[in-house]
Formats: sequence, structure tokens, C-alpha cells
Amino acid sequence: MTAKPFDVIVIGGGANGLVACCRLAKAGRRVLLLEKTEALGGQGSLVEFAAGFRVAPLGLDPGWLPSKIAAGLGLTGLETVATDTSLSVAIEPGAFLTLSRDPKRAAEAIGAHSKSDAAKWGSFTTQLRNLSGFLEVLYQAPAPDVDIRSAGEILPLLNLGRKFRALGKQDMIEFLRTLPLSACELVDDWFECAPLKAAVAAGGIQDFQQGPRSGGTGFVLLHHLVGTEAGAVRGRVPWRSGPDAFTEAALSAAKRFGVTVRTAAPVAKILVHDDAVTGVVLESGEQIAASAVLSTADPATTFLDWVDPVWLDPEFVHAVSNIRHRGCTAFVLYALEALPEFPGLSSKEALSGIVSLTPDLVALERAADAAKYGAVSERPHVELSVPTLLWPALAPDRRHIAVARVQYAPFRLKDGATWDATRLQALAESVTSAIEAVAPGFRSRVLHRAAWSPRDLQERFGLREGASSQGELGLDQIMFMRPVAGWGRHATPVAGLYLGGAGTHPGPGILGGAGWLAAERLLGRA
Amino acid sequence: RYDAIVIGGGHNGLVTAAYLARAGRRTLVLEKRPLVGGAAVTEEVFPGFKFSVFSYVVSLLRPEIIRELDLPKHGLQILPLESTVTPLDNGDYLAGWADPDETREELRRHSPKDADAMAIFGQLMHHMAMAVKPILGMIPPDPTSLSPRDLAGMLKLGKHFHGLGPEKFHALHKLMTMSSADYLDEWFTFDALKATKSASGIIGTFLGPRSPGTAYVLLHHYMGEIDGAFRAWGFQKGGTGGISESIASSARALGATIRTDAAVTQVIVKNGRATGVALSSGEEIPANLVISGLDPRLTFTRLIDPKALPEDLVEGIRRFKFRGSSGKVNLALSGLPDLTCLPGKGPHLRGAISISPSMEYIERAYDDAKYGEFSRHPYMDVVIPSMIDPGMAPPGKHVMSIFVQYAPFNLNGGWTDAKREAFGDAVVGTLARYAPNLPSLILHRQVLTPDDMERITGLSEGNIFQGELALQQLFFLRPVPHWAKYRTPIEGYWQCGAGTHPGGGIMGASGRLAALEILRAAR
Repeated sequence: MTAKPFDVIVIGGGANGLVACCRLAKAGRRVLLLEKTEALGGQGSLVEFAAGFRVAPLGLDPGWLPSKIAAGLGLTGLETVATDTSLSVAIEPGAFLTLSRDPKRAAEAIGAHSKSDAAKWGSFTTQLRNLSGFLEVLYQAPAPDVDIRSAGEILPLLNLGRKFRALGKQDMIEFLRTLPLSACELVDDWFECAPLKAAVAAGGIQDFQQGPRSGGTGFVLLHHLVGTEAGAVRGRVPWRSGPDAFTEAALSAAKRFGVTVRTAAPVAKILVHDDAVTGVVLESGEQIAASAVLSTADPATTFLDWVDPVWLDPEFVHAVSNIRHRGCTAFVLYALEALPEFPGLSSKEALSGIVSLTPDLVALERAADAAKYGAVSERPHVELSVPTLLWPALAPDRRHIAVARVQYAPFRLKDGATWDATRLQALAESVTSAIEAVAPGFRSRVLHRAAWSPRDLQERFGLREGASSQGELGLDQIMFMRPVAGWGRHATPVAGLYLGGAGTHPGPGILGGAGWLAAERLLGRA
Repeated sequence: RYDAIVIGGGHNGLVTAAYLARAGRRTLVLEKRPLVGGAAVTEEVFPGFKFSVFSYVVSLLRPEIIRELDLPKHGLQILPLESTVTPLDNGDYLAGWADPDETREELRRHSPKDADAMAIFGQLMHHMAMAVKPILGMIPPDPTSLSPRDLAGMLKLGKHFHGLGPEKFHALHKLMTMSSADYLDEWFTFDALKATKSASGIIGTFLGPRSPGTAYVLLHHYMGEIDGAFRAWGFQKGGTGGISESIASSARALGATIRTDAAVTQVIVKNGRATGVALSSGEEIPANLVISGLDPRLTFTRLIDPKALPEDLVEGIRRFKFRGSSGKVNLALSGLPDLTCLPGKGPHLRGAISISPSMEYIERAYDDAKYGEFSRHPYMDVVIPSMIDPGMAPPGKHVMSIFVQYAPFNLNGGWTDAKREAFGDAVVGTLARYAPNLPSLILHRQVLTPDDMERITGLSEGNIFQGELALQQLFFLRPVPHWAKYRTPIEGYWQCGAGTHPGGGIMGASGRLAALEILRAAR
């Protein structure tokens, strides 16, 4: 033990990996962080897709940083932007509906289309806040399970029950009712304005290979709202200093706690002996010993690719291989010589938020149909934003960047078809046309265009099947079922091997949420 | 003066009436149609041809009801439905026979791996059904309430889940939350097998097999096969109406009165209490208790003035999803259909013929309905009752019952006679792909859309379950939160239909639990 230079090896330099390192080092463990790429930050890291144009397409929504983690690691210098990064939806060429994060201003905008919808907006967003607020409670603690062995395990459950009751009768019911609901039914229950419904419901299909009519999209909608202020219907407010602000802060904290960081150090194997982890082997062949390994890579890669199956129970392997990833989001990145004009859009600030180009639920549902049959949507759902309005430094002077999130682009295509250049360019072309339709002259401002399929995301960010979720957010893959039934608390069948990535509870979009809980578990504190 | 009036002579209403009469209550059942049964009726639609017009097979009917109401003595006689044959697009077929070993061998022909998986899958579904059974039989506790009874109920529930142990609990959780497609993908590889199994996961719902939440309906339909009185699907001799008749006969023997052609227009409420009912004839009948066997929409917004109800209840009813998605085509045939995949007369014609050649076939059938059209090529469950019960048709002739999914209640432009016939043509045309001689055999054709079902039986939007069996509409959420215990805010007014826990199918559980709850409250 003492011969080994490190107590714990943490795999993956994303938010979860960085937070896990800090938590462990703070507790006195000697920690080595291994990141396969050159840069830290994982999904939030900046990529130069054209000379002088840098962007973090997966980091546009910074995610939720639980205050417990920020305080616990003494993270400093993290400020969010002051501007109102809103959600806009194209009604038709020349007309947009912009939903401010301020419920009052949003209601005013909605009022132009439907008085009754405007009247309900305040209570609707308040309810979303209350329900995702309870998810925040669930997400800061280990996942509760029926598998109670000691009286000690009942107390957290009772405590949870108390917090659940604190929601009040109505929201308790709404919470239970909304999880299995479809995003479609949710918005239909409240509103009549088609573009408004489409804008809100689109939050329920984010990185999810289901249409808005599918059950469980209500939960996905709530999940992506944890950590938001009342009034928000999509995503968290970005960092002021840049998309990589959290990475910088967490990295300096890691250094402060004495974590050893190695980049460009891809793991090839996790060493196990007598059912206990003994270290890792890098692709370079280098062996590093440690009595504990915490992997923030997805559970399937960790166990199916890195651990010798002789140490694993076949049923566990079967369960892990059944985890659904189903990356279905592609990105088209534009280097622009100037800011595009969107006639009818309230202000150019709206472009710093999200501009959804899908005006109604049917169009959203039709886009999803193709993916069911392993094909790319002919008319994909496109959400556009211009990050250079928040962070001009990402592009050369007066130049801009536009990022288009595109669904559905399934990782697995029917009949063995592949994501070749032709298919990718065809998708990029349909996206460009869709933008041109509401922003005449957009095409002529494009200096350079890059397109990433889920396969590219897999290669670039190590995301299995290109899924940033590390396992889709189906109701059967969350809480005590994440990553697999019975192993929802970050420990694994291999002694000393822990999972702390987005593929474990509480899942994607929570900065260090899983890494923190996994570290606590490793330290025997959870 | 009656102690209790039950509105609606469907099977649940009749069960409630029988149990109340059994407890010595003077009970009256009022049915608007000339015959009892609601959606469980037999009618001679064409001279000499008898049809189970709507509901056509049974498996879920609770054993305790059969026992306690002595139904066999009153004419309940179930003839087992022996097999299921799925014609494949390559001219072959997939069959499931009465004998599990035979079925396994047949499956082995297509996929040895699936044949092996089937045994384990069967065991798991058995365990799951056993895990759900006590929940189906319990009055749903209100998780938001702090009343001793509700807390006790929640504790009982918690103990039950804990008692299952993590493995079974997790398996149950998956079944409750997954799509039937994903769930079956974890077990099987043979597409036609998955399609045929997943079909039972979409019946009566407006979801496709790839939508989360459909795996539960799959279990709901397994329940009967595993826990039902007959452990298999079957026909009532003389048609489904015979089941209703047997319950009615038992109820009469226990002292209940049943009036047909007696349509209730409203429940009479005096200072917050139900005091009787008014009929379309203008006649008023007083009673101490009024129990509605109609669906939640009718129970809370038609029979009484919703203004008398709390807002959140009315809002909950407004949000309650019906979305009828099934149709029915009944055919009078001059002879037997000849399946291309299994020519001639054979045991396969004594069972079900499932038109579910592939997962994509069913999913595409759903896509049509999603956008407001009936499926051009629908999923169909086809049976020929006259093969097992010759009395259903004249000698040498046959009746064919075709359950069809999807036919949306809200059809683009609405249902018209022309649309109905076009729907019938799509059904017969698609079936003729697999049985080319069928069109030439058709003597008469009855096509029933969700619109027709609503008009004839009263079922809102033609939903065969009195409301979708979706997770957010089950247990303490069925029909609405805080009112899932058969009670209503109006003193003396109760619910007993399939729109209450545990829901649809010829199960009778809602009717029985309602009666027990009413009697408990009286004590």
C-alpha cells in the first residue's frame, strides 16, 4: 500500500472526475487523475473547429452546480452572466416568440398569441420549479432503494419522505404524475399556443431518442431544469468568464488539494485480482497501481471494455450491456463573418440563448419518427445559439459562431448504414437551409461549417454511441436503476472500483453530482 | 325504497350490485340498453350469426368473484382459446400452442436462443404477476394523506415491495416504466415474436410499442394467463354476453333488481347528498346510495353538475386520458378462411390469428394513428368463435371477430359512414394478404369505430378500459388523485367502473372492491 504512489486513480477529467478528485484529495487521499485527451473539462472543453473559432457545443448549457459541491471544494470565481439567455421559437419566417427567464416578461410575449396561456405561464413555471426542485433533493443524496438492510438505511428514506411532503399535497401528486407523462400531454394540459407548446416540450426530448408523445419525456423535461431559477423552461444560465469557467475553477481546486493530473493518458485496462481492483494499464502499456479506481467513463465502457469478464457475474455483464445509450443528437458548427439577421426576433440577445426552429408538436414528433426506424430526420429539430454574443473571445474580432443542436440523428442507422461524409453533409445542408429560411442571408455569412454526428461525438469526447447522457434518461435507467438495477450507489461488484460518471445517479447535467457521491461512497461517508 | 342504485349494467356494475345484494342491500341496476353487459354483450347482429360485439375474449375475471358469486352455476362456461398464429411476411408462420413444450419447439424453429429465453421469461412474468396481484386487490392508499388508514396502506405497500426483495422489485420497476419494445429486446431476438408479444402492450392505449409505459399493459394482459381463473384466454360459451348474464343472474338470485331500457339522465343531489336518480322517461327513483358504473367523465361531469365538485377534481377529470384507439370488425362468413402460411382447416383456426409480422409493422400502424388517421395496415387479433362454439353461426357458416388497433377516436375530419367503410376495407384488405379467400367468404360485415363504441355503449371516446392504462392513470391516480377509493365528494355517490383501480378488461375487480368499500363505509 505505502509502496504505491497513489491511493486512488480517477479516470476522466470531466466535471465529475475533477470533483471526485478534489473530494478525495481533500480527505487526504493521494489521487491521480487520468484524462485521455489533451484537455480537461470533458464535454465542457473548448474545441477549435475552424482557425481561430473555438466552441464547446456540449457545454452551452453549463449544467447545475449544487451549492454543496461548490462550497465543499471552495470553488471560486464562478459567476453567471447577467443577461437574460432566453428561449425563442420560430413561429414562421419573420415571427418569433421569445420566452424570457423572467416569467412576467415571458407572459407579456405569450399574451400576444394567447391571453389564457399568458395567464397560466406564471403558475406553470412555478410548478416546474417546485417539481425539479424536489429532483434537486433526490440528486444530492445517494439513490434510495428498497434494498434496506439496516435501520440506519430507513432514516434517509423517512427524511426524504418528509421533504416530499414539504411539496404539499398538490405538487406531491403532480410530481408522481409528471414523471411518466409525455411532454405533449404536459403542455396540452396547460396551453393552446402551438409554438409555445413546441418550445417547452422540446426540453423533454433533449438527447432522448423518443418523440414528445412518448411516456417519460415529462421526466426528461424536469431533469434538465434542476438548478434553474423559477421562470426557466430550458437549461441553466451560462458562466460569465466562458464555457470552461467551471473546469478552470475545479482544476485550480484540484491543484490546491494536491491532485496529480495527467492528460493524454488513455486507459486500456482496469486491473483486478481476487475480485478487487489493483490498478490500471494505459494504452501506452504503462501500469499504475492503486487500491481504488473511480471511473467517470460510462459504465458500459468501464466494465465491457476495461475489466476482464472473468471477474464479473454474467448477469451483471448482461445488465450493463443492456444499458441504452442511443445518442441521437448531432451538431452543426458555423464560423460566421458577421452576426446573422433573424427578422422578427425581439433582440440580438435572444441569439445568445436558444432559438428553436420547430414551430409545433407535430413537426417535433415527425422528426422523431425517422429515428425509430434507424434513419435521420428529413426535417430535423434544430436549436440554434450564438455563444460569441456572451463570449466574443471565442472568435476573431467581430466574427461570430453559431451552434446548431440537431435531433434526430441516431447513432445506429438501419441496415448497417454508416455516418459517412455524404450523410453528414446532407444533414448539415438541411440544417443550413432550415436556418436560412428564418435568417435570410445566413448562408452567405458562413466562413466555415463543421458537422459532428453522434459517431464523431463518440470519437471526440469518448461518449459511447455519442450519448452525452452516458445512458439515456428512461425512467428505468434513473435513481436506483442507474447504471443498472441494484448498483445505483456508485460501488460495483469489483471491490475498490467505483463509478462516478453521468451514467450513474444523479445523471447528466449536474456538475460533479455523480463524482461527488461516488467519492463520498469511496470514503465510506455515504 | 332501494338501499342502492347502480347506474350501468356493465360487468363491473353487475358485480357491485351482486355483492351489495349478497350483503342484504335492496339493490337496483339501471341499464340504458335493452340488454345488460355494457361492452361485454352477445348480439345476433345478422340473422343466425351471434357476435361478442365488443369485448370478445376473457382471462382476467377474478377467481374470487367466480367463487363468491357462484358464476358457473349461473351459466359461466369458458372455452379455452388454444393457440396464437402469427403469419409472417416470408410465407412462414409463428405459432404458440396450448402445450408450452410444443410452443418452445415451434419457437426453436425460428430462434433456439429465444426458445431458451422463453422459459425464464415465463417464470419472471409469473413472479411479476404475483407481485402485482396484492396491489390489484387492495384499495389504493392516498400517499399525500396522513390519515391512519392511508398511512397503514402505504406501510403495507412498502412492506410488500420490501418483501419482494431488490431483484423482483427492480424487475417490476422496469416492467412499469419501460416500453414493451425495449423490454422484449432484452429477452428475445425474433422480430415476429416480439411484435406479437408487444401487441398486448398497446391494446386500448394510444401509444406505440416503443413508447415507455407500454410494458405494464403487457403484464396487465399476462395477469389472466398466470393468475386468472382459467390461466389462459378463452371464450364464454354463447358469446361474451354470457359472462354478464351469469353475473346478472347471480345478482338476481341474491335479490337484486335489474331494469333494462332505463337510461339515467342524472343523479339527484340534495344538499350535498345523492338521494336518487332521474331517468330519461322523467321517472325519479329514490335511494340511499347511488353508484356509477360509467366512466369517470360521465360519472363526474354528466350525471351530476360538476359545479358541485372541487375544482381540482374536475380539472383532473378533464386531464384524464381516454383517447380510444381500437376498432372492431365482425364478419359473417360462408366458410373458413384459408391462411397462405397454414392452408386448410386446422387447429390454428381454433385459436387467435395475430397480424403482427414485425415490430416496425406495429410501430408504423401507430404512426398513422398519431397523426389522426386509422392504420392503413393495422395490428389485428382475429378469432373465429364458431370453430369452438358452433352455436354462434348457422351450420357450415362462421363468425369472425377482428380486434383492430389503431383507429383513433379523433380521426382527421371526424368519423363518417364513408370513413367507417374505408376502415373496414383496410382491415379486410390487410387480412386478405394472409388469407386471400377471405373477401369471397364475407356475407355480412359490421364495422365498429371508437366513435360507434361511444355512441352504443357510452364509453367516452370509445376507450375500452374506461380510460387509458397509463402509469399516470393507475392505482391512487385512477381516475384522479384523492378520489381513487371509489368514493366521490358527494355523500352517498360512489364509482365502481373500470375507470377506477385496477381498471379494464373483463376483470370485475373494480366492481368488487367498490362494493367492499361501500359496505365497509356503512359499518
